[in-house]
Amino acid sequence: MTGAALDEAAAPRVPDRRPPRQGRLALTLRRESTWLGWWFVAPAVIVTVALVVYPLVLGFETSIHAQAPTLTAPSKLVGAANYSDVLKDPNTVSATLHTLTYVGIALALEIGGGLAIAVVLHRAFRGRGIVLAILIMPWALPSVVSGVLWQRIFAPDNGLLNSILVNLHIIHQPEVWMANGWAIPFITLVHVWGVLPLVALILLAGLQSIPDEVYSASAVDGANAVRQFWHITLPLLRPALAVAITVGLVQAITIFDEIYVLNGTALNTASVLMQVYNSAFVDADFAHGTALAFLVALATGVFAVISLLASRRSTV
Amino acid sequence: MKPSAAARTLRWVAVAAIVAWSVGPVIIGVLTSLSSEVDVEAVPARWIPHHVSLAAYKALVLGANTSLGSTQADSHAFGQSVLSSLEVTVEATIVTMIVSILAGYGFSRLPFRGSKLLLWGVLATLVLPLFTLVVALFRLMVQLQLINTQLGLVLVYLSSSAPLAIWLFYNYCREMPAEPEEAALIDGCTRFKAFRKVVLPQMRSGIAAVTAIVMLLVYGQFLIPLLLGSSPSTKPVTVLITEFVGKYTTNYPLLAAGGVIALVPPTLVALLLNRHIRGMLSGSTG
Repeated sequence: MTGAALDEAAAPRVPDRRPPRQGRLALTLRRESTWLGWWFVAPAVIVTVALVVYPLVLGFETSIHAQAPTLTAPSKLVGAANYSDVLKDPNTVSATLHTLTYVGIALALEIGGGLAIAVVLHRAFRGRGIVLAILIMPWALPSVVSGVLWQRIFAPDNGLLNSILVNLHIIHQPEVWMANGWAIPFITLVHVWGVLPLVALILLAGLQSIPDEVYSASAVDGANAVRQFWHITLPLLRPALAVAITVGLVQAITIFDEIYVLNGTALNTASVLMQVYNSAFVDADFAHGTALAFLVALATGVFAVISLLASRRSTV
Repeated sequence: MKPSAAARTLRWVAVAAIVAWSVGPVIIGVLTSLSSEVDVEAVPARWIPHHVSLAAYKALVLGANTSLGSTQADSHAFGQSVLSSLEVTVEATIVTMIVSILAGYGFSRLPFRGSKLLLWGVLATLVLPLFTLVVALFRLMVQLQLINTQLGLVLVYLSSSAPLAIWLFYNYCREMPAEPEEAALIDGCTRFKAFRKVVLPQMRSGIAAVTAIVMLLVYGQFLIPLLLGSSPSTKPVTVLITEFVGKYTTNYPLLAAGGVIALVPPTLVALLLNRHIRGMLSGSTG
């Protein structure tokens, strides 16, 4: 009696559309599962309400009140004043520009590099498993440790990069990389080192979901490898690309650890999150720090929704 | 279709480049950690130390503050921070796994009126950047006197890693065949017993993968412990090593040795479970 329904339920990826189960067993299951379901999800709901929703409300309250001298002192309701202060702050403006630079460079390197890695590792070859295992290593490391590993490369005076460039007569004097225009690109490079494996894996999974027949059919039609890549691979890769871009975007907007390790809280490389840290915890101004954090969260959410909507439209 | 010799060579060059990019900085870190002060101060820089020295590791582990310049390396502090890191990571991972296995299974197999809405409510917190909550969590932890305690850190890690884990388990349970569980129910198991005896073993490889991912996420946290757990007893190794970066001069061997020790646990996890992790990371996105 339930044979067909069970088969239906076992089919992967579409269980949502399974027909309602029939028969006595299914009916008892449904009645039983109402309260049992609550018990199973209750811990997760409690944690979310207590440690995400409640702090979110608290934070919003902080952001619309004036900063009180102590944690417990009463503070005045100021509405959107903190938000407009933050938007007018020149440090916010420069941190926003820095963050856009981080995001732009990171996404370009991650999508370009990720595509290249995915294409190279797409076909089976001896040792591919080992290469894949090595590939995810940088992703597995704490971003602070990535920063530490790259530290000596970008060191001033006799840092490794300085030594190479002086030896090659590209520069005459050692540069202080974290104080000049290269600071943001180099910090982004360290960031990309940690995120690229994830992006590459997402794109690789996307490549492998494209059936081989599509390629053989187009080969018969006389398409060469480059044309195949532009006209078949890239369009079919769009859903995976959208996910990869969303992941890279969210990671880059919230860049903090690598900056902190390589250049501290210095203003010339401060991202928006560094600016939140500086105003909330260095200047002890929770009100303005939280207001800025909420603005950034809003921007991140809008970006994430846009890129996910773009991916949905292309998959269905 | 056999690739030509040129194509094969090209691919090997590309593969070598990928490997070099992935392990290069780690090798540089290891070489730096084994350098003596003379080596790191040499001009031009020496990539490979002329005088291999374990002084940096000795300083971290034994506290011997030998010829390592001005940076203070308190042995007790470093060992303590590695231990705290591991301890809190294990605790937070266990709690996160319990909460999210139950929720992932519940949301996918035991739907009730409003459960979809609740699921999306929990998952919506995935897109919420952590730092929107950092200031409020800091104040909350101060008020609850959980600031600088392991319990406080574990709670915050739980709330920050559970949504991802729930999402992964939710998808995993939906794609898992339902027959074994239904069979157990027909045989007269209670729902909970069927979950324990049939579903949990069925979820083994998913549990391995998510455990690894959550461990790596928690171990790598920096901003949260910097703000909520920077007392000597709770400070994790990620926070401690940033203190080795000097304002004017940095003791590179010491810094690198700290980094090399800190990368051992996540490297082991990633190597041991790399198949599971890769499957979950690429599968979670499709």
